[in-house]
Amino acid sequence: MSSTAFCFDLDGTVTLKEILPIIAAEVGLAEEIDLLTQMTIRGQIPFEMSFRLRCRLLAEIPVDTVAQIVEAVPIDKAIAGFLQDHREECYLVTGNLDVWVERLVKKLGCALFSSQAAKRPDGRLGALRQILRKSGPIRELRARYTRVVCVGEGFNDLPMFEEADIGVAYGGVHSAAREVIETADYIIGDGVALCRLLDTLS
Amino acid sequence: MQTARHAVIAAAGLGTRLGLGKPKCMVSIAGRTILDRQLELLSDVPDVRLVVGYLEHDVIAHALQLRRDITIVRNPAYRTTTTQQSYWLGARYLREPCVYLDGDIIFEPQSFFAFLENAEAHAPLIAITAAKTDQAVFTMNDREIAQPFLRTLSFSRTDSTPWEWANLACLPPGLLEENGGSVFSRLEQFLPLRSQAVVSFEVDTEADLNRAEAFVATVAQRQAA
Repeated sequence: MSSTAFCFDLDGTVTLKEILPIIAAEVGLAEEIDLLTQMTIRGQIPFEMSFRLRCRLLAEIPVDTVAQIVEAVPIDKAIAGFLQDHREECYLVTGNLDVWVERLVKKLGCALFSSQAAKRPDGRLGALRQILRKSGPIRELRARYTRVVCVGEGFNDLPMFEEADIGVAYGGVHSAAREVIETADYIIGDGVALCRLLDTLS
Repeated sequence: MQTARHAVIAAAGLGTRLGLGKPKCMVSIAGRTILDRQLELLSDVPDVRLVVGYLEHDVIAHALQLRRDITIVRNPAYRTTTTQQSYWLGARYLREPCVYLDGDIIFEPQSFFAFLENAEAHAPLIAITAAKTDQAVFTMNDREIAQPFLRTLSFSRTDSTPWEWANLACLPPGLLEENGGSVFSRLEQFLPLRSQAVVSFEVDTEADLNRAEAFVATVAQRQAA
């Protein structure tokens, strides 16, 4: 059994900006997506429903166009370096869709757990096959590794923090949610400091 | 100047004896918090960890504002655990010696830097200071064994001596225990210990706070002159 697995949230942790608003802005739906995001954060609509709605709003954009936009989203250099140096132990765990983030993930070079959707023959987004609950991958990895460390900042990272051995609330892009901080072992505000800590845990 | 690679500040406690309703690291002395002053002293240490508990969100926000690359470590059981537990959590998984200090102490910079310079190469190394606090843990020390070190032979809450334990130490990994008692009771098991004198003012009570304020004022006057 290997020693430590590192699981990273993607949006706003590895990427220096949230991905969905960038996609939405490209097609003039920034306000609509933002409203849904805010309502989700306040707990006014459940995450799954919000996610389905957000996907519906963006479904008309060709999947490849979205994948290109996502690929160009700026990423944290220190974290990207860590992912490269620890390829075999690093996992991206995102509620985002596989067909949207695949190109970016390929560039980062590590394994992916994500929500899944079909791509229609005309290149548009098809049916949602699975919406990822982030506790699943952590449970799976705990059977293969002696220790699982997770890094994230948002509400949908909470199930990941509850399952992991060590939780790191990362506020490099924006402050981590209060609830995430209260479930974490460590709180970090800087990519270099994050990698320094992760090195001591590997 | 040689410096330590890792430092842990314990700042999880309630600070009830001082009774200002905030964590002691957040107490201002001449316009700057104790945490602000300690982080300045540790600016050459690459890995600084702050252990938080009581009013953690306030302390976290303040710390990240002062030093972006600080590592915050949580001690959610701060109400029922000792400073040793905060230290243990703070330095958990480290494989190198680490400097430990309480987050409620004002240090005279020169003596603090002199300690830092020796810390890693001579760990375990503990700091002692002129006895002055109400609940001092006195130390009995040998004469100097070699400049600038002394040898601490014992700790006592009752047998007063001119020196007390300064709540600053550099210790090798594995020396502190999980869920242990007070730090000095753990250190007692490793006596005699190499020690070095520092000028410091711990803030546990209002009288301590007055002493620390007076000291900071004196230093400011000296610098202005």
